[in-house]
This record gives sequence, structure tokens and C-alpha cells, in this order.
Amino acid sequence: MKQQTQQEKLKTIGISFLALGFFPLIWFLFQAILFRELTELISRNLLVVFALIIGSTFVFLLFWGMDKIIKLSPKDNRESLEARMFAGPSLFMISLFLFYPAIRTLYISFKDRYSNDFVGFENYKWAFSDPEMLVTIRNQIIWLVFVVSLVLFIGLIVGWLSDRLNKGEAFFKSIVFMPMAISAVGASAIFKFIYEYRPPPLTQIGIINGIRVSVDRLGTQCMNNRVIDGVFNGFGDPNCLKPIGWLQQRDLTNLPFTENLNPDGFLSSILINLPVNTMLLMVIMIWMFTGFAAVVFSAGIKAIPTEIMEAGQIDGASELRVFRSIVIPYIKSTIIVVGTYMVVTVLKAFDIIYVSTRGDLETNLLAVKMLDEFSKYRNFGRSATVAVLIFVCVLPIIVGTALRERENTQS
Amino acid sequence: MKKPLLVSFLLLTLILGACGGGSLEGEEVTITGALIGSDQDGFRAAFEDFTAETGIIVSYQGSDNFEQEIQIQMESGDTPDFALWPQPGAVVDAATRGYLTPLEDLGIDLDQYQNDFSSYLVGLGVVDGVIYGGANAANLKSIVWYQPAEFDARGYTVPATWDEMIALADQIVADGMNPFCFGMYSNGASGWLATDWMEDIMLRTGDGVDSYDKWVSHDIPFNDPMVKNAATLLSQIMHTENYVVGGTDAIVSTYFGNAQDPMFSKDANGNPGCFMHRQASFITGFWPEGEQAGAGSITTVFPFPSIDPSLPAAALGGGDMWGAFNDRDATKAVAEFMLSAEFYNNVAIRDGNARLSAHTGFDTSLYASPINKILGDTIAAALSANSFRFDASDLMPPEVGAGSFWKEMMNLAVEGPGYIDTALDTVEKSWP
Amino acid sequence: MTRNTQKWYDKPVTKLILITIALTWIFPVFGFVLSSFRPGESIKRESWWDAIYTGKLWTELTLSNYSEIFFADNLDRSFYNSFAVTIPSTIIPITIAAFAAYAFAFMEFRGKEVLFLFVVASMIIPLQMSLIPLVQLFKSGIEVFGIPIIPALDINGTFVATWFAHSGFGLPLATFLLRDFMMGLPKSVIESAKIDGASNMTTFFKLVLPLSVAGIAAFATFQFLWVYNDFLVANVFLGVYKPENLVVTSHVSQLAVGAYGEAWHLRTSGAIISMIVPLTVFFSLQRFFIRGLIGGAVKG
Repeated sequence: MKQQTQQEKLKTIGISFLALGFFPLIWFLFQAILFRELTELISRNLLVVFALIIGSTFVFLLFWGMDKIIKLSPKDNRESLEARMFAGPSLFMISLFLFYPAIRTLYISFKDRYSNDFVGFENYKWAFSDPEMLVTIRNQIIWLVFVVSLVLFIGLIVGWLSDRLNKGEAFFKSIVFMPMAISAVGASAIFKFIYEYRPPPLTQIGIINGIRVSVDRLGTQCMNNRVIDGVFNGFGDPNCLKPIGWLQQRDLTNLPFTENLNPDGFLSSILINLPVNTMLLMVIMIWMFTGFAAVVFSAGIKAIPTEIMEAGQIDGASELRVFRSIVIPYIKSTIIVVGTYMVVTVLKAFDIIYVSTRGDLETNLLAVKMLDEFSKYRNFGRSATVAVLIFVCVLPIIVGTALRERENTQS
Repeated sequence: MKKPLLVSFLLLTLILGACGGGSLEGEEVTITGALIGSDQDGFRAAFEDFTAETGIIVSYQGSDNFEQEIQIQMESGDTPDFALWPQPGAVVDAATRGYLTPLEDLGIDLDQYQNDFSSYLVGLGVVDGVIYGGANAANLKSIVWYQPAEFDARGYTVPATWDEMIALADQIVADGMNPFCFGMYSNGASGWLATDWMEDIMLRTGDGVDSYDKWVSHDIPFNDPMVKNAATLLSQIMHTENYVVGGTDAIVSTYFGNAQDPMFSKDANGNPGCFMHRQASFITGFWPEGEQAGAGSITTVFPFPSIDPSLPAAALGGGDMWGAFNDRDATKAVAEFMLSAEFYNNVAIRDGNARLSAHTGFDTSLYASPINKILGDTIAAALSANSFRFDASDLMPPEVGAGSFWKEMMNLAVEGPGYIDTALDTVEKSWP
Repeated sequence: MTRNTQKWYDKPVTKLILITIALTWIFPVFGFVLSSFRPGESIKRESWWDAIYTGKLWTELTLSNYSEIFFADNLDRSFYNSFAVTIPSTIIPITIAAFAAYAFAFMEFRGKEVLFLFVVASMIIPLQMSLIPLVQLFKSGIEVFGIPIIPALDINGTFVATWFAHSGFGLPLATFLLRDFMMGLPKSVIESAKIDGASNMTTFFKLVLPLSVAGIAAFATFQFLWVYNDFLVANVFLGVYKPENLVVTSHVSQLAVGAYGEAWHLRTSGAIISMIVPLTVFFSLQRFFIRGLIGGAVKG
């Protein structure tokens, strides 16, 4: 009897090695080698066809094969083997592709420029003393606070209001949601076209500067280089407003109204030092993600049972009150999920900055700084340190999720 | 006496020919770099004849994200055969980390190479006395673009000295116009135009080339009086009222590629937005399409004016440099070809080409555009006379050359002349 | 609902707010799209709103910006490459994540909670950090104490490399979302199936998968858009240095920037050309997309 279980145990171990180790390896190698050879051998178009077919079907073969092998094992052990087979590939890939690199980064962050010698906390000291890093951290905080809260706020309003539309709800939502389908690179190009600055006396083609220079001031007629009846009308007159390089403004000192502000006052000094370029870059991200938040919220609002809403309305509570005391509490967990997703997205945000200013004039964010240190300044230790800072920012969220998970499972 | 020599020569060529034609036929050599668009087409075209002759297929693919991608490729050991970097500093960096093959191992005749490209340029790709970098294209920065017709119409003359240039600028301001175009915004590299100005001034003040070299190697501090003098002269251009069209706002905000556009645009009185634009030879590629044909005639250059007349003329420039990652036979053949004078033949004849060969023996009459011939000759002459100096910010450590130096120039433009000391001290402090 | 009293939200003011928001959202795109149909010189000479005002716009509309990019050499090849990268890179992570999500939702195993937290935590790891180890892995395999676990494959530059890279990067979010979605399915149905003796594999394929179509479609759209719009991973793992391996996004961006300077006529049309596929996918799948997200997120 005992002999039997011993044998069964061995068999299970053998099978689990075969199913979860050997077979996936063979599966992967087969694909890899097949394509490496095919890339050399067959024509391009054929290769694309092969890629589409094999790439889309082979993954099922993996699970099918693992399942077949596991079926050979004794029945008692099958359940735990199956759990490993279901979750294993995902966990394995995450550890290999993401977790191992993360550990490696932590290790590198304690080493020097070319990862030769250990330097202790030298890189971390740099991260919190270098003026440019401090500006980057400041920007990251501004982004986190404003982008996340504005996306949630506008998203809630849009979600709440659009839910009450009788007609055209879907159409309206598609419009607000559409930017999600546009890449960050495309979205940045769209907004750069709005913020576009060209040196005077050139025609302003960005609409903000275009309107700015066309404002008639002090009795002078200003126009954005328009030819009327063969007469050229420009904005060269000293009375006319000059265009502004919006993405190059670190503060508001170039705007006339700040001249009257007292730079020593608390509020007015904040206003004067408002980083305009950072604000305008945040608009791009808000534009991209508000629709996503709105649609998720509106779905959450739709799920609120009608009785609860009606009860509130019959009580004569005002709309605002209903919104505050019924809607918000009801979709609280949705707000947290969207908020979490946004925090993660903002911390990882790099494309917008990368293609629009590349961090110049105090617009940098941590993810871009990480790349700059890697490829521009070629300092791998510092690059890794910045990456570690990004994780650290997210730790509270991970802890929060853990707590929420525990609550959910307990309740 | 003569016959055996001829026979052995013939035999040798036969053997070599057989080797070259036979063994390398169909071999593929890959190159990556930062050149994209029409520069990429030009670079690919350079290899057409070579491929037809040797059968070696050279494939070049550029990327606008090259600098990041090549770092990843080097770190992970998956490199192409060559990379073409926009600055020699990156070649030195890669060589220091042990990724590159010395040119000697590629079978390059090093004496010939130094002779062809000048020992100064070759010296930029050297680590511990070993040559790793292959010089390729060069550009000329010590030039000021202007339109002769506009000058003539108003009786202005081309300034030969700094004082003449200032006098001319004052004259233009007095006539109610702006003398200079100046824009130094550049995504991730904003400020480099001002560093170029500083470098040109440094080459023409102090001890000229000598003090320039000391400045680059940090043998004189960044806040040395000589550097301060250069910054003061630059500030004179940037901050004198009405010198720059659009003022300091325009300097900071204008994308460098658009900076010259005001010169091409006439106001209601027929006056151009500016008269002079100090910018490198490659800027023609950024001009509006309609203006590119006029490069060298309608819009042409005068040399950056001299400042200290006792110093010999010097030329500032930039350029790219390649490094090889292995010493395969095909790699060797391509390396040798890239260092030959003929390499640039197919590039030079292309319309709209703004890249110039750094080979002093290159036949500059091949350039399709007349301005390129003038610029190419200037570069070759300066290289031969050892008066060519490479862009200092590309040679300084990246924390300075691609970091604090650029950044402080931006700040200087915004803050005005009172900021000079702070700017220079900040850069000095950031030197690693 | 109550119909007798007119609520404030039925009043014109609500509609006004919504219309304002919609216009604000569509406005940035408007001038951009318009400019893609104007000749390069006109864009610079006259602003697009002035051109509308003077009426010149209608005479100068052109498709040449589009044809310049669209008929560029080998753009079709780049489109095919994009599909060969994107479609498997969407299917592979979804399949793997769906299995894992099923395990996390309906199966019992040791360390389930901790492992799930591990998945959540890995969402934040910036993929830029993973590039070097991954390229190394695909190039020279893995050795542990001198024993090769995965042999040197040298598969960078093949489609397989991009599929696995993208799958790895997409897995955490996919597993997280799908597990959330599956938790929302009626538990009793799954349990009764198990009692009836159905194996996990059968329950998964016959029951859970069909019920999760919305969630899967949602993530599929997400992943598709992300992979299609990506250029970094594609450049590193596929387009390493071979022109025939370019994907459409980096090809178009090279065409648009390659013309130097402020080539707004090419930048606009180029951006729009690279948006065609994502927008088509988005609008045809948005029904699922929106419904699926709801399932996942509302549960929290």
C-alpha cells in the first residue's frame, strides 16, 4: 500500500515535470526555431500568413498538450496539477519577463554608471539632491494629483449626465471615448498642433497663438497675416500681442496680467510660478483618459438599483444630494479601481513627454528621466534608481489592493 | 625584372578578386543609426555600387529612437554589424564598455585613414590609444546664412569681424528691422544652438584652438574668464534690444528648424524678418521646400566673423562616426569602403542632400548643390590645416555637454546678462 | 421612473453642458484632420480657420499628403508586419491570462492570494526595464550554473520574439481584469457544473469562456490598440536593423519626420493613417469594449 503511494508520488512528480516543464519548453522552442528558420527560408508574404495562423493557434496547443499529459496522472493529484497548469504559464511569464528584470533593476541601482562597482546609496542621494531630479519629482506629483483627480472628476460628471440622456448617449460616449483609440504619439501631435508656436512675423498656425495675435488692442488692428483686398495685415505692430511658445513657458511671467500681481503674496506667487507647459501637457492625458473613466462610471451608475435612486428622489433630496449620498458611495469601488488604474498609468506615462518636449524646460517625468539617464547620459545606475522610485510610488496602491482583497474575501 | 612583378601583381589581383567576389557574395551587413527620411535614402544609396561590385548586401535601417535602441542592443549583446552615431562621444562610450572592434582589426590602414580624415577627427574616436571610430560625414557650423540681394538692396556689407557684425546689426536696428534669427528649441536638446555660438566665439578669442581644447578637456574651468567673455559676447547678441526677431521669447521657443523662416518671409514693406542666421550646414534640409533650391545663390553664407584678429581662422563643425561590432570579412570590406573617398559619391549627387563627406580627398565637384561644394571645400581645408574643431558640447561628458551646458544656455537666454556668472558656475559644478 | 416632474437634467442646460464637452473633445481633432487635406505651403501661409473664413480652403483641398505617405515604398509590407505582430500578441496573452484568471477565480491552490498580489504588483513595472534582459534571453538563452535551461535561440528579429515580449507585458493587466470579470459570473452555475463531474477544462471552455466574451473582447481591444500603437517593443525585438521588419507606426513616423522641419501636412496625414486601424477596431468592437469594462470594473 505504502509502496503504491510512493510510486504514485513519483509518477505525479514525473508527470508534473513533463507537463509543466518539459512540454512548454518544447512548445516554445518549436515555435522559436520554426520561425527563425522560416524567416530565412520563405517569402515575406507567406511568412506573414504563417505567423498569423501559428501565432493565433499555437497557444491552445500548449494547454491542450499539458491537459493531455496531466490526464495520465492519478486522479487524487489531478486538481492541484490542473491549478498549476491553469495559472502556471501566466505566473511564469510574469516572473521571467517582469519580476526578474525588476529585481535586477533594484540590484543595478546600487551600482555605478556602467554597473561595475557598488556605490551604496550614492544614486539615491543623487535622486533626491539633483535639481533636475527634484523638478522631475515635483512634476510627477503634479501629474498624479491633477491628472488623476481631473480624470475622475470630469469622468464622473460626464458619466452621470450622459446616463440621463434619452437620445444620443452612445454617440456622445463614443466621442469622449475615442481618444483612447489614438496612440499617445498621435494625441501629442494633435495637441502640439494647437500649441504650435512660430516666431513672429510668421503666420501662427496653432489656434491659441492664432487667436492671441489677432486680438485688436489699443486701437490697433492686428491680424494673423491675412491678405484682404491685396493688402497684407499682420501683427507686427508693437501694440499687438506676440505669440507665445506655450510648451516652453515654465511660469506665467510672459502673460501680461501677472505684471500686476505681487510676487511676494502667497497665492499670487503660486500663480506666477504656475508651470504652464506641464499643465498643457497634462491636458493631453486628461483628454485621452476621461472618456474611459466616464464610460466605466456610467456603467456603474446604471447598475444602481432603481429602487434606491427612486427612494432618494421621493425623499425630495436634491439631485446634487442624490449624487453625493447615493451615487458616489454606491460606485465607490469602481472609483477606486479607475483611480488605481490612472495612478499606474500616470506613473508609467512617458510617450506624451517623450514626443512633445522630451523633458526640456522642466517638463520631465520619472519614466522619461529613466530613459534619459539610460540613453542620453548613459548612466545605468541612475536610470535604475529612477525606475525603483517609480515602484516605490506604487507601493501604497499595492498595499491598498491587498487590504481590499482581504476585505472582499472575508465578507 | 618587370615581368615577374607584373605577373605576381596580376595573380594577386586575381586571388583577391576571387576572394572578394566569391566568398562574400550574398553576405549581409547591417547598419543602424539615427539617419531617417531622405538622409536614410542617401545613406542607402551610397552602397549601391558597392553591392553591385562585391555582392555584399548592406542594409541600413535608421530609427528616430536610435540612441535608446542601440543601448539596449549593446547591453543585450544583439547588435548589428555597424552603428552610425551622431556624436563621437557615444563611440568612445561604446568602445570603453568593450563593445567595439578596433579599426586595426578590421584591416584598415590607419596611417592612410588619419591622412584622409585628419588626425584630429580620427583622434575623437580613440580610447587608450586604440582607434575605434570611423569618421563619416561632417558639417560646418562656423557660417552665417544671409541673402545677398537683401544686403545689396540696403547697402549692407558682409561683416568680416565681430565689431563689423555688431555695427551692421545696430545699423539694421536703426533702420527699424531685426538683424538676427535665433531659435534654439529642440526636443530634448534645447539650447544646443547657443552652445554652438559659445564654441565659435571660444575658437576666436583667448588662445583660439588651444584654449578651446583646454576648455573641452576641462583643463580650464568652465567659469574661466575666457569662457565668461564668450558668454558675454553671446549675451550681447541674445539680449540687445531688437537684435533677435521676436526677442528672447523667440530664442527659447522657436524650434531650431523653423528659426530661419522669418528670413524667407517679407512684411508689408518687403523687409525680411531677419538678415543673419548662424546655423550649421545641414539647416538647408529644414528650409521650406521652395527655398532649398536657392541655397548657395539666393541664400548663402559668410564665414563666422573673426573676433581676435591675431588668431588664425578656425572652423567649428560636427559630424557622425561609426563603430563596428565584429570583424567578419564582410564587415571589413564595408568598413574599408566607408572610409574610401568614393563612399560619398552617390550621396553627393542627390538633390536636397545636406550631408557632407569628411574625407579630405573627396571630389567636392560632385555635390549637386553649389553651396555644398563651398562648404565641403571649407571643411576639407580646415581639416588639412588642423583648424577644424568638433562641437565641444558633443565632446564634453554627457552630463555637461547634453545636460547642464544646454540647460544653462536656455536659462541664460531667459534671465538676461546678469545670469552669466550663475550659469557658468552651475555648469562648472555639474562637471563629473 | 418618475415622469410627472421635469428634472433639471432634462433641461436644455444639461444638454448644453454635454454638447460643450463633446465639442471640446472633438475640437482638437478637427483642425488637425482638416490640415491633413491642405498642401504643406498653405498650412504655413494661412491658418486653417482663416482659410475657412476666406473660403480658400475649399479650393485647395488635396489628397496628395495621403498619397505621399500611403504609396510610399513598402508601406503595405509594414502593414502586414503590424498585423503579424499584433494579432498573435493579442491572442496569446488573452488565452494565457484567461486560464490563469479561471484558476484565480474558481480553483483552490496554495498561495493563491499572494500570487494574485504578485500579479497586481507587476502591473507597475515599466516595460523599458525588461527590454535588456529579454533581448538577452531571446538571443542567448538562460543558463543556471552553467546548465542551459533555454538554449541560445537567436530569435530577435522574428515575429515570435515580439509575441512573447508583448504577451509578457500585457499579462498582468489581462489576468487582473479577466479574473475580476470571472468573479462576477454566477458562482452557482460553475459549481453545479463541477458537481455534475465536468472537468476544469470542460467548464472553462464550455461555460466560463462563452460567458466571459465581453470581458475578453474588452481586453482584446485594449491589447490590440496598445500593441498596434507601440513602436518601442517592435523596434527592439523585430525591426532591429532590418528595413523589411518595420511596423507601420514607426514606418509612418519616419516618413512624416523624415521630411524635416515643420512638415505639418505629412505629420497630420501620417498620424491619421496610423490611426485608421485602431479606430476601425475600436468602433467595431466598442460595444463589447464598453460592456466588458463594466463587468470588470464595477465589481471592483
